[in-house]
Amino acid sequence: MIKLHPWLIVLIRILLGIIFIYASYDKILDPGKFARDIANYHIIPMGFENLIALIIPWLELFIGIGLVAGLMVDGASMISGGLMALFILFIFQATLRGFNIECGCGLKEGEMVGWNKILENLVFLGASYLVWHRQQKLFELFPKTPLSD
Amino acid sequence: MTFIVSTKQQVKLIITVSVLVGLISNLVRSDAISWVAEPIKVVKNVNDVLLTLSEPEIREIDLGMAKSLHKKGLLFVDARAEEYLSDGMIPDAIANDDVGLLSEQIEYLIGYEKGFVIYCSDDDCGSSEELAYELQDFGYMNIFVFKGGWKSWTNAGLEIEIHD
Repeated sequence: MIKLHPWLIVLIRILLGIIFIYASYDKILDPGKFARDIANYHIIPMGFENLIALIIPWLELFIGIGLVAGLMVDGASMISGGLMALFILFIFQATLRGFNIECGCGLKEGEMVGWNKILENLVFLGASYLVWHRQQKLFELFPKTPLSD
Repeated sequence: MTFIVSTKQQVKLIITVSVLVGLISNLVRSDAISWVAEPIKVVKNVNDVLLTLSEPEIREIDLGMAKSLHKKGLLFVDARAEEYLSDGMIPDAIANDDVGLLSEQIEYLIGYEKGFVIYCSDDDCGSSEELAYELQDFGYMNIFVFKGGWKSWTNAGLEIEIHD
């Protein structure tokens, strides 16, 4: 496996965190719109998209803060990877079914589902794995690690 | 704080806090959403369309109802992205990617009280519903989402209008 410099992993961790915080912002402000975006995937049963739309944005915000500030990075990166895998599955099935819908990713208004979004999320999934699998825990506040070791 | 050192414990803590904050925030916010999504009401009777509503409503119609309402001269709004409009539109429909300008157009044509129909590409597109909620925020009272949209209209061999 390619070995990346530990500080590059820190940079990836912080960038991934910023992306999560940014993606959560509009969804927290307007959970109704996010719920409709989820509903358009036609995969969530019994109207549960509203509950999901209330919880996922806060999850994104907290893991984003965790990744940026170095708080519970193991847990944050694991959830980040799980979310990415889930998003990829959602977008993949919508793309295969030929849905012409907004992805509801929260990064850019009006982005549609498609192979480019799957690729983008695969990159984020890879970044989550790199952070989770890091050899050195640098610049992490909790659990406390030395600045370098 | 040794109780949240393992990855599993961290995952549990982050998820628990997110669930609690997400649910509590919905209890306190003024624009709270219902815990479980309710499906949009379906209109089966043309007379229901013509009623004056006291509360703003978004309702769903099928192809048969869309045909009837089009015949009655109701305004149709195309919610598809601009690049799809060159395929054609339902006759006399209007479209604008800028929702503010679109709202001004609708207000000028029919005002806020009268009903109008929004459609997008097919059953699953979702942008007609999205636009309906955006326009409802502008104050429109009576909005119909045409389920099936452009695809069911053209599959039924109904008249279309092509703009240059």
